[in-house]
Amino acid sequence: MIQKKTVKQIIFYSAILALWQIVAMLKIWPPYLFPSPLKVFDTLVHGFMDTTFIFGIIISMRRLLIGYGISIVLGGLLGLVMSKFKTVEDTLGGLVLGLQTLPSICWLPLALLWFGLNEKAIIFIVIIGALFSVTMATYSAVKNLPQLYVKAGRNMGARRFRLLIEVIMPAAMPPIISGLKQGWSFAWRSLMAGELLFLNLGLGYLLAMGRELNDMSQVIAVMITITLISIFTDKLIFGRIELGIRRRWGP
Amino acid sequence: MPAMLKIENVTKSYAHNGKRLDVLKDINLEINDGEFVCIVGPSGCGKTTLLNMVAGLDFDHTGKILHRGEPVGIPGPDRLMIFQELGLFPWLTVQKNVEFGLKLKKMPSKERAKLAREYIDMVHLTKFKDSYIHQLSGGMKQRVALARALVLDPEILLMDEPFTALDAQTRDSLHDELQKIWSRTKKTIIFVTHNVREAVCLGDRVLVFSSLPGAVKASFLIDLPRPRRIEDEGLMKHVRQVLKELKFEIDKHFHEEYDTKEDS
Repeated sequence: MIQKKTVKQIIFYSAILALWQIVAMLKIWPPYLFPSPLKVFDTLVHGFMDTTFIFGIIISMRRLLIGYGISIVLGGLLGLVMSKFKTVEDTLGGLVLGLQTLPSICWLPLALLWFGLNEKAIIFIVIIGALFSVTMATYSAVKNLPQLYVKAGRNMGARRFRLLIEVIMPAAMPPIISGLKQGWSFAWRSLMAGELLFLNLGLGYLLAMGRELNDMSQVIAVMITITLISIFTDKLIFGRIELGIRRRWGP
Repeated sequence: MPAMLKIENVTKSYAHNGKRLDVLKDINLEINDGEFVCIVGPSGCGKTTLLNMVAGLDFDHTGKILHRGEPVGIPGPDRLMIFQELGLFPWLTVQKNVEFGLKLKKMPSKERAKLAREYIDMVHLTKFKDSYIHQLSGGMKQRVALARALVLDPEILLMDEPFTALDAQTRDSLHDELQKIWSRTKKTIIFVTHNVREAVCLGDRVLVFSSLPGAVKASFLIDLPRPRRIEDEGLMKHVRQVLKELKFEIDKHFHEEYDTKEDS
């Protein structure tokens, strides 16, 4: 079965590459605007060899991890407080829901004025990008928690903090994880938008440079790099966590 | 010495369409140390509510509930409830589920692992100690719930229709096991069911509750020798007596729920 799937995937990606090559060979656009797959591969290899891509990845990942980490802690706390206190739920709840629909890049002008043209502004955009998804996921997970688990925990003597740590958090984990996953992708989007608009190294900067230099092979090579990073984090991190949850909770 | 559990004039009411609706009215009960008491009654007679009150999970009522002469307070492992849907933790293995309450008691990890293993062994689940809950059958889950409660050495075990969802064979074997465990540990057990045969098979005493308002309608002493089996002919005399008392209540509600046939 797995082999059949692999064969299908190989055929699919070969077809895309072939189509790409054909369109490039038709020369509808000049090669610098529509590079061939080989040219992009060449740029990709060069980008890694001369370390520009590696530094780009390191700089972007650092911003992403700091911002995402902060938004998990902050969003988890906010969500928890919202689910536990009716007043906070009634007031802050609606605001968070509204802010969730606002693209986080809208905060960039404010961030630039508040923090200046520096790392903090970009990390702020990343935090805002993931914060509300994490908040809403935590809030609704704790709110819709099967009360039976809480009752069973209290029955055996769990109270307050222990109840939270030993029962409520683990019981709410499956829906929180999907919220974290959503937050991760929002964090990425925010980071890229921020880096494109506000040139300060990172992968978004490499994208913008490609545009400035009319070098579409660089733009595409960076896009591929970002996609590959996303696929790897999805498979290696979230995939494993989800597998662990499925193993415990059952299908 | 005060009774293990004494319930005095307990009344519980809800606001329902602007009126007060009594779920339980003037309940008076005394349950002795080591006694196995079964409660039968139609749905809505407040059986579960009463168990929740004893467990301390529901405290909004009038009257007194005294455990060894002391009013019951917040929930605690001295009065443990086995819920109808069990409430086992899916994120923990069988072993860790059974250890849960011990961990809360701050028992060192080696000691609690050993104790939990003893109780898992008692309910014959040693082979499954590292399984997760979703991997177990209905009967096995019941055994985990029993072990998880008993390991905490509760004084009162509250069981809320625990075997309702099981097939007849599994239920019969759990009846045997519960009786064995009870005669060994001498726990006080309050067992709620709507299966009259089950109640007569297990209980030293069977209480018949009426519904709306829930109240103790009759009490039967079952002085048959143990271990009893659900198919014992001797049970039938008592079953008929209990059913006769319950008949009026049955007629008030749906027949099918209180069918006492084997597959009920």
